[in-house]
Amino acid sequence: MNYRLLFPELFLFLWIIFIFVLDFFWDKEKTNYLGWFSLLGLGITIALVFGSGTGRLFGGMFLADSFSFYFKLVFLSASFLAILSSIDFVKKIEKYRGEYFGLILLSTLGMMFLCSAGELITLYIALELTTIPLFVLSAYLKKDFRSAEAGIKYVILGAISSAILIYGISIIYGLTGMTDLGLIQFSLAQQHLRFGPFGPALIFGIIFFIAGFGFKLALVPFHMWAPDVYEGAPTPITAFLSVASKGAGLAAFIRIFFVSFNVYQPDWVMIVAVLASLGMIFGNIVALLQTNIKRMLAYSSIAQIGYIMIGVVAFSWRGISALSFYVFAYLFANMGAFISAITFSNVTGSDEIEDYAGLSRSSPGLALFMAVFLLSLVGIPPLAGFVAKYYIFASAIEKGHIGIVVIAILTSVVALYYYAGVIKKMYFHKSEKEVNFSIPFSLKLALFICLLGVLIAGLFPTPFIDLATKAAQVFKYW
Amino acid sequence: MITLNHYLALASILFCIGIYGVLTRRNAISVLMSIELMFNAANINFIAFSKFITPVFLTGQVFAVFVITIAAAEATVALAIVILIYRHHKEINVDKINFLKW
Amino acid sequence: MLASSWLIPLLPLVAFAFIVFFTNKRPKLSSYLSVGAVCGSFVLSVPVLFEVLKNPITSEFKFTWIDLQGFTIQMGILIDPLTAVMLMVVTIVSMLVHIYSIGYMAGDPRFSRYFSFLSLFTFAMLGLVLANNFFEIFIFWELVGLTSYLLIGFWFEKKVAADAGKKAFITTRTGDLGFLVGIFLLVSAAGTFNFNQIFHQIEAGSISTGILTVSAILIFAGAVGKSAQFPLHVWLPDAMEGPTPVSALIHAATMVAAGVYLVARTMTLFAASSSAGLIVAIIGAFTAFLAASIGLVQNDIKRVLAYSTISQLGYMMLALGLVGLTAGTFHLMTHAFFKALLFLGAGSVIHAMHTNDIWKMGGLFPKMKITAITFIIASLSISGIFPFSGFWSKDEIFAVAAEYHPIFLLVAIIVAFMTAFYMFRLCFVTFFGKPRDKHKFDHAHESPKVMTIPLMILAFLSIFAGWLGIPWLAKGYSSFVFFHHPHHAEPKIWLMLISTIVALSGIGLAYLIYYKGSISAEKLKEKFSFPYKLLFNKYYFDELYQAIIINPIMGFANFLFKFDLGIIDWLVNAFGNFTLFISNVKEWFDTNIVDGAVNGIAWIFKKACTGLRQIQTGYLSNYILVIFFGILLIILFKIA
Repeated sequence: MNYRLLFPELFLFLWIIFIFVLDFFWDKEKTNYLGWFSLLGLGITIALVFGSGTGRLFGGMFLADSFSFYFKLVFLSASFLAILSSIDFVKKIEKYRGEYFGLILLSTLGMMFLCSAGELITLYIALELTTIPLFVLSAYLKKDFRSAEAGIKYVILGAISSAILIYGISIIYGLTGMTDLGLIQFSLAQQHLRFGPFGPALIFGIIFFIAGFGFKLALVPFHMWAPDVYEGAPTPITAFLSVASKGAGLAAFIRIFFVSFNVYQPDWVMIVAVLASLGMIFGNIVALLQTNIKRMLAYSSIAQIGYIMIGVVAFSWRGISALSFYVFAYLFANMGAFISAITFSNVTGSDEIEDYAGLSRSSPGLALFMAVFLLSLVGIPPLAGFVAKYYIFASAIEKGHIGIVVIAILTSVVALYYYAGVIKKMYFHKSEKEVNFSIPFSLKLALFICLLGVLIAGLFPTPFIDLATKAAQVFKYW
Repeated sequence: MITLNHYLALASILFCIGIYGVLTRRNAISVLMSIELMFNAANINFIAFSKFITPVFLTGQVFAVFVITIAAAEATVALAIVILIYRHHKEINVDKINFLKW
Repeated sequence: MLASSWLIPLLPLVAFAFIVFFTNKRPKLSSYLSVGAVCGSFVLSVPVLFEVLKNPITSEFKFTWIDLQGFTIQMGILIDPLTAVMLMVVTIVSMLVHIYSIGYMAGDPRFSRYFSFLSLFTFAMLGLVLANNFFEIFIFWELVGLTSYLLIGFWFEKKVAADAGKKAFITTRTGDLGFLVGIFLLVSAAGTFNFNQIFHQIEAGSISTGILTVSAILIFAGAVGKSAQFPLHVWLPDAMEGPTPVSALIHAATMVAAGVYLVARTMTLFAASSSAGLIVAIIGAFTAFLAASIGLVQNDIKRVLAYSTISQLGYMMLALGLVGLTAGTFHLMTHAFFKALLFLGAGSVIHAMHTNDIWKMGGLFPKMKITAITFIIASLSISGIFPFSGFWSKDEIFAVAAEYHPIFLLVAIIVAFMTAFYMFRLCFVTFFGKPRDKHKFDHAHESPKVMTIPLMILAFLSIFAGWLGIPWLAKGYSSFVFFHHPHHAEPKIWLMLISTIVALSGIGLAYLIYYKGSISAEKLKEKFSFPYKLLFNKYYFDELYQAIIINPIMGFANFLFKFDLGIIDWLVNAFGNFTLFISNVKEWFDTNIVDGAVNGIAWIFKKACTGLRQIQTGYLSNYILVIFFGILLIILFKIA
């Protein structure tokens, strides 16, 4: 057995314990360093991911391939940015600062296992390992009743969706007797050949899977938690939720649906297409009316997942490549937008779009950053969002899914309206009060990383697309 | 003779009771209990399938053990958050908690 | 050497970035940066020209920008004789305009910004000239449009300037739409953006003539917008609301030249589809005539020049449409010099007199010798008097027109006559006769050196640049820039004679009317009052567009607004009342039927009415309900 494959996860796990222990022994003043410690751990983990190679462990329970490699990098970067943007933020929290970082890392660990899981038990445990720390984190601001409300909504809906998912898993297990994703596909295909199409049981199973993962992805109609939790949770956690947690759900979704349910593709692609279209329409329209920047970004991320699912609907390796690249572009743009919002609210204490008026004068740099990230989310060239959108639309058109692309383009226009609204506020409205912006180093660094990501992936996307394509090659069943 | 179908019927009834409870209860604790019912419905499925479909392997039973563990962890976190809610609102009726909306 | 020519457009871009980010507060430094950058571009362009002169082949340098696994977008530069000539023209003219602007814009509060825009404009134009594919050329094309909008509307406090900027932007966008569709059509047929590959396919005959014709006409639509050809010519005369050096740049070397350059660059397309070529020629000839006739009666010095630009561009289009690549681009070059000179000279006059109205000027010759002499040189050149450059290039166009059909030649000659007339009307009224506005006249003075030196350089070029194309020259312009094979038209002495006589008679007529006064302009005006009015109001194009395009659109918008007010408000109110009603019902439910599920469903229906947003009620139980409801719907959808 080649345990090298597991090194990044093992290391990260030990590091988390290390952080918890340090937090326990250090007094309050020193806990500020825990953030930087966590970043160090993440850095080493990224290096280990690069060095760990590919292969299978434990009889296929743990897969390290180019797909998991790609997504691990995405999760680790998102976690890195989330922690970096939290370092200044945690000063608001009175107790247990170290646990805050530890929990983010724990969730990241879950995501790394999730995208490497080759089997349902591992996958389910990894999923819960991803989610449970997030429940805690979203309720982390104990003084803020909104944070508590976000926590209770997230945990109850999360538990329900988890129960639905596990019921779906039990059905699939019952139909095949297997939990290994590849063997499930094999078994389903064989039974299909021998006895003809399955009855409603399999459809129930698949739908329960879609519901369970739909919750993680915030697909309409399983999105209900998203806006409330995004608004109530601490903003760095919101950023992390909107990117990493979604990415993790997506990675697992692709593994299951492109491997296990490969044969039943016509049955589920239609559902996904409808849900994705609903997401684009609903998310973009409702975002129009929002007055809170976090809530607006929450609805926009509901719409964004609709765009991402276009890659799934395309059902081709190009589709997976496109959506992987989209996740990458979305990572920097969305994280960047949230980090700008964190910076803004750290200074002004407000998340209202109304208060962004005149930001271009009080802090031209921050306004420019925010504008670039929002424009990338819309998909304006030469930013990363443009290439990502173009690529994902092309992959769908290639397979003849014109309808969903038309919806996507039309709703993009709506999206442009509310993103541009924020930019307009920042640049063309005057503010009543003068605010002095001094941005701490950690946030500056985080903003610069995001900006670089958005620009580089927009101007020179080829190496990233190559990586994404390599990741997609894992699923060459067609 | 109790067949697989009996178990499955039991599980699905339990699952539906869970859904009903989740939908109708307003007390957060009751909602959590209903969720437990849904988890346990899945567990019954696992055990039954394990016994009838793959009697040689223990996959299903192992799965059930994991599900119980995870459900416990989830319940712990949920209860902690319920206490937090209680501190803020002095009650745990989920329909009284709707500051975040629209 | 050629491979590093990507530096040419890069320098102004760097200057732009530098000014925006660092030297915005230091105007002097900004202007030096900007001028330095464009001088650098010029210096870099010279070796390119010599390299191409030595070895006139097409070289291409490219790299893959985006590789989407099967569909790639490349960026690169294409250098051939045409590019080399254009590089020279663009860099020289914009260098002189930059220098001139230091004097002209002195003291403007947004001095740095002006130079940053100017640099960006130059960058866009140079990028456009060097582009090697349709994708790239479109990007720069739009960038040229954007920067021209910024520059024309530079004095945005003046409403006319802001409006002119918008007008230029919107009018040219109309053409750009056609351009974009044309590109898509052509590219989808050819499977690549690259010019050379597309042209090879066209010449190999692998693209159907139908597609070729349609895409050629659509691409020409883009050129019509940018080069201000009929019917999208209306923006150019208004564009003079910008600072005068900008007008010089737009009219001479950049913006309007872009359209001509596009047609020249895609010559293969128009050569392959003779009907598209003919349309280009007809529109060119028509525009030339139309604009020249309007120019006859305008009173604003810059407006006359603007219409003369449109008419000269019509000449170039005429030549290009008849596959006279040499003649068209040659005239583009000579025109760039003398038109830049005319505008800068006009700017010098305006700078001195603080008015645009020629009837408030007069007798300026003794006061502004350099300006006047150079202006007259340019006028002689544009009128086509031997041996100024305009003579040679106009003659080439006559030759091309004569070869195709005498009707084109006839139009060209009439236009030449009108050109000579209105140019010298301008000269005589402005520089000779008695000063009409004593007060303004007394304050008039020659412009500073930084403005007059560019005038002198341009005057030099206006005289001699055309000599490159003297038909007797064995190795002249025509053996350098050509389409497929050098087209060395036999010098036709009779044509030269005709054109000289026509030009001289135009000048003579202007002399008689406006200098000697032996024919009264007023009498003529009265005698031909209808044509005069028609011309003076520019054939009522603006009014026409107002009536048939703008008014209906505004009317429709107004209608929608009313609709909004009436119907939508009513609907909203209705929804509101309905919600109120439902919520009353709901209360009844609450108190009477204590059943959560039904309760929840009632909630959902109520909220769905008040808009999608209201779905997000904030109530946990509703969220749960939505989840199960969603699952139920999906199951029904699948099973049924």
